[in-house]
Amino acid sequence: MYLTIIDYGSGNLRSVENAFSNAITDNNLKCKISVTSDIHIIANADLLVLPGVGSFPDCRKGLQNIEGLIDVLSEQVLFKKKKFLGICVGMQLMFDFSLEKIRTSGFGWLSGNFNKIKTVGLDYLGRKFKVPHMGWNSLHLEHIHHPILKEINEKDQYYFVHSYYLEGNQKNQVIASTNYCHQIPAIVGNENYLGVQFHPEKSSLSGQKLISNWLKWSP
Amino acid sequence: MLSTRVIACLDVHNGRTVKGVNFVDLKDAGDPVEQANFYSKTGADEICFLDISATYENRKTMFDVISKTAETCFVPLTVGGGVNNLNDFRELLKCGADKVSVNSSAVSNPKIIIDSSDKFGNQCVVLAIDAIESKNMPSGYEVTTHGGRKKTNIDVLNWAVQGVKNGAGEILLTSMTTDGMKTGYNLHLTKLVSENVSVPVIASGGAGNPKDMVDVVLKSGASAVLAASIFHFGIHSILSVKKEMLKNGILVRDCGN
Repeated sequence: MYLTIIDYGSGNLRSVENAFSNAITDNNLKCKISVTSDIHIIANADLLVLPGVGSFPDCRKGLQNIEGLIDVLSEQVLFKKKKFLGICVGMQLMFDFSLEKIRTSGFGWLSGNFNKIKTVGLDYLGRKFKVPHMGWNSLHLEHIHHPILKEINEKDQYYFVHSYYLEGNQKNQVIASTNYCHQIPAIVGNENYLGVQFHPEKSSLSGQKLISNWLKWSP
Repeated sequence: MLSTRVIACLDVHNGRTVKGVNFVDLKDAGDPVEQANFYSKTGADEICFLDISATYENRKTMFDVISKTAETCFVPLTVGGGVNNLNDFRELLKCGADKVSVNSSAVSNPKIIIDSSDKFGNQCVVLAIDAIESKNMPSGYEVTTHGGRKKTNIDVLNWAVQGVKNGAGEILLTSMTTDGMKTGYNLHLTKLVSENVSVPVIASGGAGNPKDMVDVVLKSGASAVLAASIFHFGIHSILSVKKEMLKNGILVRDCGN
């Protein structure tokens, strides 16, 4: 198996590579990782991971700067049904558009858009809700039997850092959500492609569990 | 619901931790990589490295420390100290840092916050503020640099608000008056800043026991607590802090995970 982490100038590629490599070793899987922007390697990979940190428009621009990349991704994911994982902004890009800074379109694989987290009132300790939503939060499991959630329960926490959240999505696309002032979709997907709003590569053992589940998942 | 974070901070000088650490479990007590792994395994929600090396040459050893830590330590890593330009940001992020903190460089060049948040996203820009009490300042606190030795004539609250406006995604607020005293955080200062900025505030400087951490969350509204020496000397563990917080109704991440 060949796993490709797509390098388009955004993100913590090293951390993503380290976390996947650790999960591959722990599970005795035969999988070779490449971190690349070469669309031929991307087209020939079995598994695709799209990381993303920073703003939505910057990430979109980074992808566009690599000629043919977005088309290759859509073809591999939607038609060749390759297994795909989008992380943070990589997840956001799977949807219609985001309103971060300026309205920018995503790939449109899933319907929904991203809007600023709404902060009304105070939290359970009387503190103001801060943006970004930064830190460890638990999941509310919506599709309990989805293989990505195997052995994950509501005690597991994941590291989030984002200011925009998915709204107006199709309810059945949300596999798990989290709560910060309001409900926020945390794991989304359809068929062979999944996206996570949090950072599994920074989520300690809970993150390793999720990455392992994704690696072993046969959609 | 979001957990309140407990952050362990390591002061690193020429690639070695400075403050004495005496965990029996560690083979090399001065190795920041081993310490970071120890903290991460025992429940730290984040690791913060503060590089206090004086020269650029020595600072380069920090890149190695970050790279090695990021290989096995899957929690967020913040790195600060000697970050002067966008290239320093880029290098640290490339090694595996998730957030970079700026302090003195933001005072001499406030534009660094605008430029770095523009380039790398505000989620990775932490504005570190070292505050001392000062009657001459409207908020009662003055920004200092160089470990509290150099006054700047800048008001802490204005500075924090301006920093967030410029793109800082988080504030690491250290009270230099209480730092190292183990008498508790500066509750007044933390509350003042926390209530007036929209981003998370990390309380730092003065933690002496788990109760101090509970206080700064409940009384000052801190989003996260940071400590160095009380963890290093093994007086209190991350677990004992989290237990105390939980006992007082503060949600924390389960250390078993």
